[in-house]
Amino acid sequence: MIDVAGIIAENILYIAMVTLGGMLISWSVHFVPVGGAPAAMAQATGIGTGTVQLAAGAGLTGLVTAGAVMAVSDSPLLVVASGGVGAMIMISVTMIVGTWVYVYGVGVPPASAKVDYDPITKDRQDIYVSQGTEGHGLPTVSYVSGVIGGALGGLGGSVIYYSLMSTSTGLTQSNLVALASIFAVGIFFVNAVIPSYNIGGTIEGFHDPKFKKWPKAVLASFVATLMCAFVGIITIGGL
Amino acid sequence: MEPLMGMGVLALMGAAATIAGTTEDLESDVGSQSNPNSQVQLAPQMMYPHRIYNKAISGEPPSNALICAIGGTVASVLMTASLSVIFAIAIGALVATAVHGTYCITAYMGRTASQKRFRQPIYLDILRSHTPVMMGYAFITTFCILVVSYIMVAVLAHPFPLTLLAFIWGITVGAIGSSTGDVHYGAEREFQNVEFGSGLNAANSGNIVRKAESGLRNGIDNSWFCAKFGGPVTGLAFGMTVFLSGWVTAVFNPATSLTMGWLSVAAGVILVLLMIIWNRKIEVAARKAFGPYKEEEEVAA
Repeated sequence: MIDVAGIIAENILYIAMVTLGGMLISWSVHFVPVGGAPAAMAQATGIGTGTVQLAAGAGLTGLVTAGAVMAVSDSPLLVVASGGVGAMIMISVTMIVGTWVYVYGVGVPPASAKVDYDPITKDRQDIYVSQGTEGHGLPTVSYVSGVIGGALGGLGGSVIYYSLMSTSTGLTQSNLVALASIFAVGIFFVNAVIPSYNIGGTIEGFHDPKFKKWPKAVLASFVATLMCAFVGIITIGGL
Repeated sequence: MEPLMGMGVLALMGAAATIAGTTEDLESDVGSQSNPNSQVQLAPQMMYPHRIYNKAISGEPPSNALICAIGGTVASVLMTASLSVIFAIAIGALVATAVHGTYCITAYMGRTASQKRFRQPIYLDILRSHTPVMMGYAFITTFCILVVSYIMVAVLAHPFPLTLLAFIWGITVGAIGSSTGDVHYGAEREFQNVEFGSGLNAANSGNIVRKAESGLRNGIDNSWFCAKFGGPVTGLAFGMTVFLSGWVTAVFNPATSLTMGWLSVAAGVILVLLMIIWNRKIEVAARKAFGPYKEEEEVAA
């Protein structure tokens, strides 16, 4: 018989950390400038793909880096920071190559349709938006916002992975890694999907009015991840 | 591992990843997957029937994650049965390709059949000529991603299982392909009937180019065009992601000391800062080269 209460009492800190990681991921997705199908036709500012897809791509790349570092280092801070950096590298590379395609392949300058002046560079935006579109490409503010989003997503994913790996269990190391990494990927997807309802297909970054809706998504993620954390920790702790 | 050896392994991974990224994008151009497919799907409804393959099994990341995970699972099972690694990876990729081909055919048949009321024909010659091309590209993508994942597990001693790494890299290559190369297909190739750089008015939706350089345009014509820019840059993006995320820990190995670990984090942050500056440089150059679309008039900041 599994001592559920005992496992929860023993790992309460990790349950809290997994929940925190989930909330971080949920917040991070709001930073990532995605334009969905319109952006793939250069009709909206941001990267031409879906919210979940890009956030997951970046966060999971961070998870690979965090996993590699955790195998050789004991420092929790280093593991978490490495996860953030791995995700930042993925999203930065994707965005810079996206800029190449918009500028050299499609021939449109990066421009935001949500603000008249870029909050970071103070460049005029509205007159660079082509007719009949909602902006295109990645102006500096969206790029920086994307980098922040990638970093937070990577941090969140790594915190979850670290917490699950640290749970007291009778599993062998290789089984623990497999189970913890699969739970981390699953919890990542749950929290990457929740903000999609706020974003509704397109968001330009932290300067977009939709960004202000993040507390709702983070609250929803808190509830969802708490349940995931209980299931994950009890499963790993009970084996 | 010796640092020089580590860099060699990373270079091999980067090369395999570059090929995987390129073929992933070209596969999605032949079959018209992901976001630009919305226009291919819309065209018949706007009375523009066409000869372009219309699949979109799912978003690119889940679709590639699926084939890579299938390939990884089969390869892992075969390796436990003591088969040679190359053989196991090749058979794994082959099984994944067969599954992918099945999805391609059902997606094309299902999607096109549902457009009967818009008089969009199902072209069996398109099905016969395009499906093997997509399967070929999917095989190369899966094979290369399995090579990257196997090197990470066997040589770099990554703790994740081979299948999970293949799954994650499948998600990543799909995310990159749909973010970069697909824009070249969706915003340029599908709409070559509007002036280059004029932007794409939403009113043009569905009015995709249907005539090719010779005859009627099909998916293979699209991959011919995208292979000149969209495909290779997608490959570069995925290659850079795999290479750079490994490079920071190969040069500053966290296994040697904690300081080295933090140096690897700092190196990663510096790379990202350089890319922010690079993006800004391109932005300024593009604004200067293309100029504004409208006359400048003062607005409240």
